[in-house]
Order: sequence, then structure tokens, then C-alpha cells
Amino acid sequence: MSDIPAVEVSGLVKDFQTSFRGPKLRAVDNVSLRIEPGEVYGMIGPNGSGKSTTMKALLGLVKPTAGTCSIFGKDSLKVDSRNDVGFLPENPYFYKHLTGAETIKFYGKLCGMRGAKLKHRIDEMLNLVGLDDARNRALKGYSKGMLQRIGLAQALVQDPRLVILDEPTAGVDPSGSREIRDLILELKNRGITVFLCSHLLEQVQEVCDRVGIINHGKMVRQGKLDDLIALEDRTEIVLENASPELLDQIHTLVDVTYGVDMISEGNPRTTLEDLFLRETKPRRTVTKKRRKRTNS
Amino acid sequence: MSSSNKKTQRQRKKTSFISPRRILIIAQSTVTQLVRMKVFYFLAPIAAVFVGIQFFDAPWYAGPEASQPQQELQMHKNLCLGTMMLFSSLFAIVSTALLIPRDIEDRTLYTILCKPVPRLDYLVGKLLGVMAVVFIALAVMDMILVVTLHFRTGAVLADLEPYLQKLGWPQELVDEKLDEISAHGPTMTLQYGVLAYFFKASVIAAVALLISTFSTSTLFTIASSVMIWIIGAAQNIARQGLFEQGGLAEDSGPIAKILATLVSLLFPDFQIFDSVAEAATRAADISSEQILQLGGFTFFYLAIYTVLSWFVFSDKEF
Repeated sequence: MSDIPAVEVSGLVKDFQTSFRGPKLRAVDNVSLRIEPGEVYGMIGPNGSGKSTTMKALLGLVKPTAGTCSIFGKDSLKVDSRNDVGFLPENPYFYKHLTGAETIKFYGKLCGMRGAKLKHRIDEMLNLVGLDDARNRALKGYSKGMLQRIGLAQALVQDPRLVILDEPTAGVDPSGSREIRDLILELKNRGITVFLCSHLLEQVQEVCDRVGIINHGKMVRQGKLDDLIALEDRTEIVLENASPELLDQIHTLVDVTYGVDMISEGNPRTTLEDLFLRETKPRRTVTKKRRKRTNS
Repeated sequence: MSSSNKKTQRQRKKTSFISPRRILIIAQSTVTQLVRMKVFYFLAPIAAVFVGIQFFDAPWYAGPEASQPQQELQMHKNLCLGTMMLFSSLFAIVSTALLIPRDIEDRTLYTILCKPVPRLDYLVGKLLGVMAVVFIALAVMDMILVVTLHFRTGAVLADLEPYLQKLGWPQELVDEKLDEISAHGPTMTLQYGVLAYFFKASVIAAVALLISTFSTSTLFTIASSVMIWIIGAAQNIARQGLFEQGGLAEDSGPIAKILATLVSLLFPDFQIFDSVAEAATRAADISSEQILQLGGFTFFYLAIYTVLSWFVFSDKEF
């Protein structure tokens, strides 16, 4: 891995002025994260937890109140940093008067592409997202899933090293959602860094190498997916050909029992969904439980 | 994708502060957007009005017996140029006011600004796109005006010549009179008048662009731009009232004077454009130097408003 991270967010703080004299709302509170090149990083969190603001700060759409964001070592407030980024916003809307091919052409041209290279790229992108047949149809006639796919195509048009996806499967049917998941895995295979923000925890679990959980603007948990979902106070033993009688005395007998092999030993996993719900559980529930414990 | 990866990486140069190519791409896209929004449909009723005028004589027109038959042509030009000014100005305001807020609401702007596109390029591209559509619309209206005015002038001359000859005017005087009437036809002076209105609409579009960078609604942008348009049109009269002999500012304190000066600096004086168009209607002489000066004045205001828009837009958060 290169020394320069694909994404580096250090101590990001973002306050919004809610009204003229009112107090400031802290949307992001001292968030730091680092994504290495080629990684797929998933950021999950409840609505209003600060995910989108973090993404916007990384894309230079909002200015951090404190802290810094960089993309491949370039300050994200500088236009240069966007040469390496493709972004798909949540529920993207493009110019509805353009056709699929014209949309990709427009974004390709904005990235400095032209001529035969751009033409080839348009064909490649439409093929990648499976919209070859709809290339000459105006976007106003596209379904939500098709819009999401054309959004992905425009995000990838300049062959970026980093792709930022904000809820890429929002409003997409299960098969469309699966196609987008496969596409993310394809990007991963091609060595493209992916920064993903999704509510579909199962999907995040399927595609992400590392995950960050953000709640009330703070990064509450972050790390490798396998480490995060491991239950450290339990041990899991996976046996092959073990009879039910052996299970009670397994630990003492396993080494001496002929024909039984220990395949692996480690921590059983919970699901990312359970971890997410536990970490983002409303505080009042925790407080109630504490009170009950104190009373008893 | 990966085969071209290294090549692409090498090609990624530093993004320039302002790029004419990117500006052109955004301007082209704006033109396409407005054209596909069917904005040119409004040209049809205007064309009908311009052609319709052909078939009606003004109530005061007394035919070749009139002492000033050129008035008929002046009225034709007045009506057509007035319509062109009204439509080009309103069109410039409404289209500019619609484009940026819509891009923000639809989040199309996110996808544009997340590409290596400086915000100044986006603003200049949008402005140039609107100006291009205004130019095309004015050019079409101008073409219709020229054709209808040509026939109208021909009709007036055809009526006048035998009438004057019948009155016993010497041919020399008849030719002189006909030349005088022809000067009110489709001449270069008329084109200068149309160009003045194009300049005016461009400045109005730049004003609307500035307002749309900080406004929260399209309605506010349109209302404020129309207000500035009116202030700009009346500014000359106000300035005369304030600063000329016996004006209000003479009796007022220094703050009133500073305020009045600020208003005159901030709001463009649209009377300058209108006076050129009026001269075109009267078939008065308009020199190319005058048009160059007007172009310089337009460029000055476009630059000022674009830079101000950029200052506001560069810090805008989405």
C-alpha cells in the first residue's frame, strides 16, 4: 500500500448556523478516518448522524469548521483533488433533457476528455452499467434504478481512483441493488478505492473491508469488518464429522479422538446489523436500563 | 478501465483557475437545456405580431398625404424593438433565475462541482449560455423585423412616389424624400439598436446571476432582478433630480449624497442602452465608436457582476 492514503479526514468538525441568533448545530464532531488505496470503506449511521456532511466536506461542497480532508494527499477544498474522485449522490437527478449517452459525454467533457477516447469511454460505461439499450433515451424516461446506474457511470467516467457512493441502492429494487453490489465488487477488483455510505447493512457487510459507525456526529466504532463483528468473549470451534456425544467433552477429547479434525478456532461473528443497532441505540433506553439495575 | 489507468493518471494535470473549454461545455449544455425546455416557442407569437403589424395601418397614418410618412415606419420599429427589449430582458431574468436554483434543488450541481470544475467556470458558463440563447432569440426576431420592415418601407415608398410626382415635385426632390424615408427602413442603425438591447439583456442576466447565488428561491431572484431592472431604467431620471441644479441632493447632507452615488454605481444605468435603441428608431446617426463604448460599458458591468457572483458562490455550501 502507498504511504499516501486515498482519503484522510482529520479531526473534522462541522457546525451549521440553524437560525440567525440561534445556537450552532454540530453536524460532525471530531471525525477522523483514513482509507487506504484499493479499500472499500463503509460508513453507516442513522439519519442525521453526519454521514452526508462528512462526504460533502470530503468533496469540498461544505467547508470544515475545523479539521482537514484530503484525497490522495490533496486538500479536498482544492479543485485539483476532484480529478481523482467520482461521486454518486443519494437519489441523483441529472439534466432530464439529456439522453444517457449525452449525460456521460457531458461529465466526461467536464473532466477534460474528448474525441475518440471519450466516445469509447461512453460505450464502455454504458456497457458496464447495462444501459446500452437506453443510451439514446432522455433521462426523464429513466426509472429510479436506471438513474442510479447512469449516476454510477458518470461517477466513473474519468476513471477515478476513488469513488464516493452515497446510498447507491436507495430506491432500487432487489435485483438492481444486487447489480450495484456486484459493480462495487468489480471496482474493488480493479483496485479502485470505494467510500460507501449505505443503510443496507447486509450489503455493507458483503462488500466492505473496513467500516465506520457514526452517530450524533461522532465516529463511535471504526475498524476492519471482521474485527468489529467479532464477539471477543466467546470462542467458536468448527468441527467436521463430530458426533453429538463428543460435543460435551469436546475441548478435552478433540485432541485425542481419532477421525475428528479441528478446522478452525476463533470468535463467532454477530451481524453488522446487530452491531449497528447496539452502537446506535438511543441513549434513553440505556439510561432506563441503568436505572433498573440501580433499583434492583 | 485499468488498461487506460496509467495513461489517465499521467494526463491528470493541475486544474487551471479558469478554462475557456470548460466554460464552453457548460454554456453549450445551458443552451441545450433552454432549447429543450422549448423556450423558443415564445418566438412564434412575436413573429405573428411582427407580421400582423404589416397588415394594419396606424390610425393616425394619413397615407402618402401625411406630412411625415416616416412616422409609420418609426411606429413599426418602436413596437417591434419594444417587444424585443421586453422579451429579451424578461427572458434573461427568468432563465438565469431558474437555472442555478434548479441545479441546486435537483442536486445536479453536486455532480458538476464534484468534477474538476472551478465554481467560476460554472457561473461564467451559465451566464454565457443564457446570453447565447438571448442572442439567438434576438437574431430570429431581428430577421423577422428586417423582412417585415422591408416590405412596409417598400409599401410606403410605393404609395409616396406617385403621389409626390402627381403633386408636381421635381424628381430630384422626390428622390431626396424617398431617401429620407428609406433611412427609416432596415438599416445598420436598426441593427445597432437591436445590439443595444442584447447588451442590456446580458447585463440584466448578470444581475440575475448575482442574485441567484445568494437567493433562496427563484421567485425572490426574479422579483429582485425586475426591481433592479426598473431602478436601472429610472436611474437616469433620479440622478438628474438629485444632482442637477436645484436637485434634492443639493439640500441633503453628505450621507444622502454618498448613498445616491453608491446607488448610481451599483445599479447599471439601462437608459444608456435605451437611448441607443431610441436613436435607432428615429434613424438618427449612431457611430461605431458609440457602439464600442456601449460594448465596453456592458463588459464592465458583466465583469463586475460576475466577480461579485463568484465571491458569493465560492463560499456557498450545499
